Amino acid sequence: MNELQREYPEEIERILAKYPPENKRSAVMPLLYLAQRRQGYIPPQAIQEIAQILELSTTEVASVAGFYSLFHEQPEGRWRIQVCTDLPCALRGADEFLKRLCEALGVAVGGTTADGLFTVEEVKCLAACHRAPVFQLQGDGEIKYYESQSIDTVLALVEELRCKAESKKEGA
Amino acid sequence: MVVKMVSLTIDGRAVAVPAGTLVVDAAKKAGIDIPVFCYHPKLDPVGMCRQCLVEIGRPLIDRATNQFILDADGKPKISFGPKLETACTTPVSEGMVVVTDSDKVVAARKDVLEFILTSHPLDCPICDKGGECPLQNLTMRYGPPVSRFLFDEKMHLAKHVPLGELIYLDRERCIQCGRCVRFQSELVDDPVIGFSQRGRALQIVTFSNPGFDSIWSGNTTDICPVGALTTADFRFGARPWEMNASASICNHCAVGCNLTYNVRREAKAGGKTVIKRVMPRQNEMVNEIWLCDKGRLAYHYMESDQRLEQPLVRKGGELVPAGWDEALNLVTEKLRSAGNRMVMLVGGRLSNEDLFNLGELTEAQGGQKLLYSYMGGGDLVSRFAPPKGSNLGELGAGSVVLVVACDLHQEAPLWWLRLKQAVKRGAKLIVASARPTRLDKFATHVVRYAYGEETRTVAAFLPVNVAGAPQVIQSAAKTLTEAEDLIVIYGSDGLYLEESTALARTCAELLLKTNHTGKVNSGLLAAWQNGNLQGGWELGFRTVPDLAERLEKAALVWVAAADPAGDDPALAKAVRRTGFLVVQELFLTETARMADVVFPVLVNAEREGSYTSGERRVQRFYPALPPKGIVPEARPDFAIPALVGEKLGIELEDHSAALVMEHIAAKFAAFAGINYQRLAEVAEQWPPVGGSDLYYGGTSYLNRQGLGVTLSDVLQGESLLNPAPIQTTQRQKPSADALPVYPIQLLYDRGTTILPSALLHERLVQPAVWVHPTTAAEHKLQSKARLIYEGEAVEVAVLLSEQTPPKVALLPRSVGLLGYWLEA
Repeated sequence: MNELQREYPEEIERILAKYPPENKRSAVMPLLYLAQRRQGYIPPQAIQEIAQILELSTTEVASVAGFYSLFHEQPEGRWRIQVCTDLPCALRGADEFLKRLCEALGVAVGGTTADGLFTVEEVKCLAACHRAPVFQLQGDGEIKYYESQSIDTVLALVEELRCKAESKKEGA
Repeated sequence: MVVKMVSLTIDGRAVAVPAGTLVVDAAKKAGIDIPVFCYHPKLDPVGMCRQCLVEIGRPLIDRATNQFILDADGKPKISFGPKLETACTTPVSEGMVVVTDSDKVVAARKDVLEFILTSHPLDCPICDKGGECPLQNLTMRYGPPVSRFLFDEKMHLAKHVPLGELIYLDRERCIQCGRCVRFQSELVDDPVIGFSQRGRALQIVTFSNPGFDSIWSGNTTDICPVGALTTADFRFGARPWEMNASASICNHCAVGCNLTYNVRREAKAGGKTVIKRVMPRQNEMVNEIWLCDKGRLAYHYMESDQRLEQPLVRKGGELVPAGWDEALNLVTEKLRSAGNRMVMLVGGRLSNEDLFNLGELTEAQGGQKLLYSYMGGGDLVSRFAPPKGSNLGELGAGSVVLVVACDLHQEAPLWWLRLKQAVKRGAKLIVASARPTRLDKFATHVVRYAYGEETRTVAAFLPVNVAGAPQVIQSAAKTLTEAEDLIVIYGSDGLYLEESTALARTCAELLLKTNHTGKVNSGLLAAWQNGNLQGGWELGFRTVPDLAERLEKAALVWVAAADPAGDDPALAKAVRRTGFLVVQELFLTETARMADVVFPVLVNAEREGSYTSGERRVQRFYPALPPKGIVPEARPDFAIPALVGEKLGIELEDHSAALVMEHIAAKFAAFAGINYQRLAEVAEQWPPVGGSDLYYGGTSYLNRQGLGVTLSDVLQGESLLNPAPIQTTQRQKPSADALPVYPIQLLYDRGTTILPSALLHERLVQPAVWVHPTTAAEHKLQSKARLIYEGEAVEVAVLLSEQTPPKVALLPRSVGLLGYWLEA
């Protein structure tokens, strides 16, 4: 039994039960997502463990993780603010929105704030072109969508999350 | 089986091909080139690169009558789709019209090439592939002269990415065709390289340990249509057009893969001609277009500076350099006085011609012709091997293959690959082994036995025994009894000579009793550890269980291409006690060190000759290096017995291997009709490779030098099972707690011909015994243990391995260790 199996025994069993045993490789996506839950990224050890569980090669699992932009292989901020800058969004001011967000947080695109809380990323279509600027917030094992945003609304959200992180710290 | 034929028109030419053929292959068969990058005829099509776009029209069909709609001339009306289609993913259909040379297609090819070249570095002048590069060739032929993309926006990526120590990736050159990734997962079941990221960021990655952990990795450099993948061995070594190509045969295992040595003269080597690389040479009956990495990379022994350079003669207890005349005269004199008390011991690295001359000299003396091998049963393979016309590449539905005591992936890699592919075509595989192997996954039946039970397990399949056997054996026995064709392959996993001889006999009996003899694609094969052991059997050499005794008693022992003293302490003792020892060798082996006379010999790349493969296919190899090259004084093995014979009045050919083959054909019925001309005959093969077809099948060499000839069948019958069943020796257990040790064969051993290839060192098997962790705990085995052989013990490292069965220890061969028992 590896670390992942020890940490999420029931979840793994539930995921594997969805697929016929001879095709258990199909469980690679949900398992990667599971492995990302705790640290916000998938460490190399977890890739190996998933390969072990599914009887795949490490390279096969790593290829899948590498293909999808929602799987992260590097530790970054606790929350990822992922802004769509595709053409329709750009027409509705996404570029300017992204630029100002970066300035406000003091990071470049792809960078992480000094406190380790936020990473700003540029992503492809989030399927809400008519409500741009739009971003998704990934973190703490969840994905949330924020549509029709302005720099004020996003900074308010950032403040809220900072408080949340702060109060957790004090609570502990 | 009747194959339905489909008629179509390609560029106005009428073509008929079997149903299911892809348009790209149909065109190729008609002599029409459709350029491809991602498509490879040995892999499933994916249609990723779009280079093969063509116009495809199909006849209109009247839905009411299901007939073609005809035009005014009475010809079917053809409807072309609005877009071009990929010829590599589209199977032919009746009445199809394919156009590969219209303006539309020409423009599309040009555009796709322009696109593929968007970020290609165009560093052809320093690229290893330059000169044999599909991208280069197709760009010259179909590509645009200029690009509309901005030069400054080219991606700059890492150019020296090691995917392990054997293969390097140049990320800039990769065109993301996926041939390498697909080859590794589809064909050889080693999915250890993959794509990561996507779009322009896509790259080939490996996460295995060691990197690119596959014994097939070198093949990806052949099928890579650009210079993205190169071997560490050849990288920046030479330009393709500077090298000469010479046909040869790999002699590292029984398969007999056809290969090509690329050589050139170079200043770095002091003006000598050296081997720059080994490339596969197509033989669809043997290795198709592949080579394992051992065959590709373990050739450096040939140019080792440890090679013997001149004859040595023992004087005053020391081996000192001597002239050929002196050494030959001394051996002649000793042979005269030894008379029939001489033993000739030969190894499986020698050519048929060497073996013949050594054998003739021995017979003239009345001596013993002994074969140095830890596997027996080659005489049975001679009688029971699949006859002429058999081809592992043709096995399919109705064929059954039984593999016993053999880790085929390690013992004969190409056979493993071809069996795996046979299973894909519908053949059934029965694996009987004591431990898990890489064949299990493809088997319909896996029969596990305990080491020592090999022969009994096969005997249980016999019709007379099967009734009371366990369910899995009954079911497997039914499968193989009812098989149209049955091939039985035995190996040497856990077997010593006597056990292996007994196993071979039972395997032959199984073929006989289930009526699988004398039929194409049915018969017995042995996974020998060298390239020409079967040739030794064919030419009358035999293994003996009491080798040590015979060596010790002989007045003169002549050893060629074998190192008994280095392999086995008991044989070392015997060799030391023998009357007079003659050794002909490449290196100063343990046995050579003990010799009274040592003759230096040439490697196969310096001379010509032929080998007999495990499938009894006689194949020619040609000189690649000029004579008087690396070791000017050395001679081909067959010349030495001829030169001695001359002094004894025995007429043997000492110059021309071709003439020796004529003598062989005259004396041995199985070789009748074989000569060097026939061995050089070729036939057209599919898929086409090499030459202008680089983009299609890769850089494997086209076979212009001979596909080889299978030895003639020897009549079969019950009496051919003689001799009687073999009794095996029971070994005395030294203590109650001792674990029995069984030998296993691994690909990357530490043999004399492997060690000089430094590149492979990280992958070589370690000198250690393998024990299951539970067994190790039960027997209180620490990291070191005592390995016991013939009453003497040496200290040996213990490696814990989950794959090892309980209650035994496994010892890889050719690591310099030997033992029957293991104690704490």
